[in-house]
Amino acid sequence: MRIKITIFFIIVNFNIVSAADSSVELNKVLKNLRCLICQGQSVADSNSEFAQTIKLVVQDQIADGKSEKEIYDFLVEKYGEWIVYKPPLNKVNSVLWLFPYLVFVIGGLLIFLLLKKRNNH
Amino acid sequence: MLSNIGNTLLFLNILLGISIIYLSLQNLKNSKILISKKIYHICLFQSTFILICFFTLVSAFIISDFSIINVYENSHSLKPFFYKFSGTWGNHEGSLLLWVIILTIFSFLFLLYNKHHPKNYRIYSLIIQNVLILGFLFFLFFNSNPFSKVLPIPKEGLGLNPILQDPALAIHPPLLYIGFVGSSIYFSAAIASLLTNYSGKLFAQSIKNWVLISWSFQTLGILAGSVWAYYELGWGGFWFWDPVENASLLPWFAMSALLHSLIVLEKRNLLYFWVIVLCLLTFILSVTGTFLVRSGILNSVHTFANDPSRGVYILVFLSLMIFASVLLFFNKFKNTSYNLNSNSKETFILINNWFMIFYLITVLLGTVYPIFTEVLTDHKVSVGPPFYNTVIIPIVILFLLFMSVGPQIQWIKNKFYNLNLFFKILIGSIFINFSIVYLFKGYSLLSNFIIISAVFLVISSLVDLYKSYKKIKENYSRILSHLSFGFLILFIGLNYNFSIEKDFNLKLGEKKNFENYSVEFKDLRLEDFKNYKAVIGEFKIYNSEKNLNQFLYPEIRIYENPSTITYEASIRSGILKDYYITMSNIDRSDYYNIKFQKKPFMIWIWISVIFISLGGFLRLYQNAKKDY
Repeated sequence: MRIKITIFFIIVNFNIVSAADSSVELNKVLKNLRCLICQGQSVADSNSEFAQTIKLVVQDQIADGKSEKEIYDFLVEKYGEWIVYKPPLNKVNSVLWLFPYLVFVIGGLLIFLLLKKRNNH
Repeated sequence: MLSNIGNTLLFLNILLGISIIYLSLQNLKNSKILISKKIYHICLFQSTFILICFFTLVSAFIISDFSIINVYENSHSLKPFFYKFSGTWGNHEGSLLLWVIILTIFSFLFLLYNKHHPKNYRIYSLIIQNVLILGFLFFLFFNSNPFSKVLPIPKEGLGLNPILQDPALAIHPPLLYIGFVGSSIYFSAAIASLLTNYSGKLFAQSIKNWVLISWSFQTLGILAGSVWAYYELGWGGFWFWDPVENASLLPWFAMSALLHSLIVLEKRNLLYFWVIVLCLLTFILSVTGTFLVRSGILNSVHTFANDPSRGVYILVFLSLMIFASVLLFFNKFKNTSYNLNSNSKETFILINNWFMIFYLITVLLGTVYPIFTEVLTDHKVSVGPPFYNTVIIPIVILFLLFMSVGPQIQWIKNKFYNLNLFFKILIGSIFINFSIVYLFKGYSLLSNFIIISAVFLVISSLVDLYKSYKKIKENYSRILSHLSFGFLILFIGLNYNFSIEKDFNLKLGEKKNFENYSVEFKDLRLEDFKNYKAVIGEFKIYNSEKNLNQFLYPEIRIYENPSTITYEASIRSGILKDYYITMSNIDRSDYYNIKFQKKPFMIWIWISVIFISLGGFLRLYQNAKKDY
């Protein structure tokens, strides 16, 4: 019973805590964008003219009430996938997104089989 | 003059390498138990010569001998002494020489410290290691010679890139090289082990200290690079998942996996072939990393000195290495039966390896994926922080939980699962997490889980420490590393969630207010320094909550040789938080772009990593005490 009560409170707590606000954070978006004319810097970290322009563009889009995804889609259409640090999940990037999990599942399975084989002896 | 000495020594080293291989092969044929004294002597000469060769290059840098093209391109007579010295390895050729030094010295020390292991195994390790040494010596001598001359002799050098003139970066390459070049020795030993069928516990004992050395130094080397990125690159972060950073992390994952599974091989004589795979993989990943960084194939923040011909050489060498080791491995591979119980320490170490391989594959794939998409589909993609964070962080939670439970389990079979204790610790961790949330600020669900699991690991390790203390069982090294890892993740989590970042433009005399802070642009002045001019801003940070004033002085530096502009962050480090300001000018305007950051617990992130590696050094010390 005590355990059940504890678990109940934990769940309640998580619900209160994780009520994060839904507005789009400018800085977070800028950090996920590559400064195309720099050497491996994000738009947020760069002072180049390109970065300044993108900052204004993103600011405007947020002011227009666009969602994070809409902003990324807009920029990808304009500059290509090179600009976003999180490659969109599509045919070309499917290996990138799925392979790590495949490795994880296979690894877990191997260990499981190894132990099971032993138990059958 | 110095150029001739250097070249002669390099050439001598090539000859010595060849003669070591020749004599070793001769030595294998005779039936004596001991390795011939001659081989020891030549190895000693080899190490001495390569060191003298290195000091020749160092002297060339110190006396600014611009007849050597490498000194001309990377040094300047007005540079401070310390950076003339560290400039020796701040470039491709010099760092490659450092690479060869570590290969050579490790080769000699491995020969010296393994006297009670069989002759054939030691001789084969020596031969393989010398093949590696020769491979890199040829590369150094014919393609990337640090002693090449330039005519006519220039009066002045071009100077070292200013962002490399930094104490953390000066020690970064040597630390990192001891780490991942050091892994070459267990690559050679693994091949020798396959060739001579010298397997099992004794093999584990012969390499375990070398794995510890390389792992501990690799950890410190990654730290130095990270500290440098924090205060030199001016974006206030310490890890960007940049390809070059990833290149240093990949061997670290492999080493960490090896470090753990080696214990199983030593204690239970299991997992021999898996250990071999990890030995081979670590060094292969190190060379792969070098290839990616030096060939300039990747777009990165610190691509320094790249040239396609280097890439081709390393790639050929790498392919040969992989081909030979894979061929040998499958030739020798035998399916062995395993004897594992589900709740034994062995199983938990396998679980560690499972996660390490997952991290490794994810980071490797993320690093090389852009190359493949560009070549195969002409599609340019960027794989950056949000990708790694999305894929890796949720898995870290599970990893931390296993890491907390694993060390409490016994070898072979554990009859008693102390579930009650873990449940209490878990409740305690959740309680601590919610205290943080209620007292300070809420954060995302994922962050909640991360902090809970990190606290869980910290408390479990502390309980472990208490138990060890009671039983006086020598396991402090492992507890230290695990505890510090828990703290590392905890501080990273808190740092991530409690950072404040503001980006705004100010004119001299203006003030910006946000949250509890105000930032005032008080003053701007121009100063002359020995090798640069600086525009220095003075900023007053006022914390209204604590009624506290802080002054920070970010700089814009103008270097003459080579002519570069750098933006120097001004950082006020404290026990609880760092204040961080960078300033940059905006063209055709009186305004300056200001980036203000409050970064909590930065110093504790560094300290945690130092303690993780200290755990390794402590174990090394304990092993050494046991052996002698």
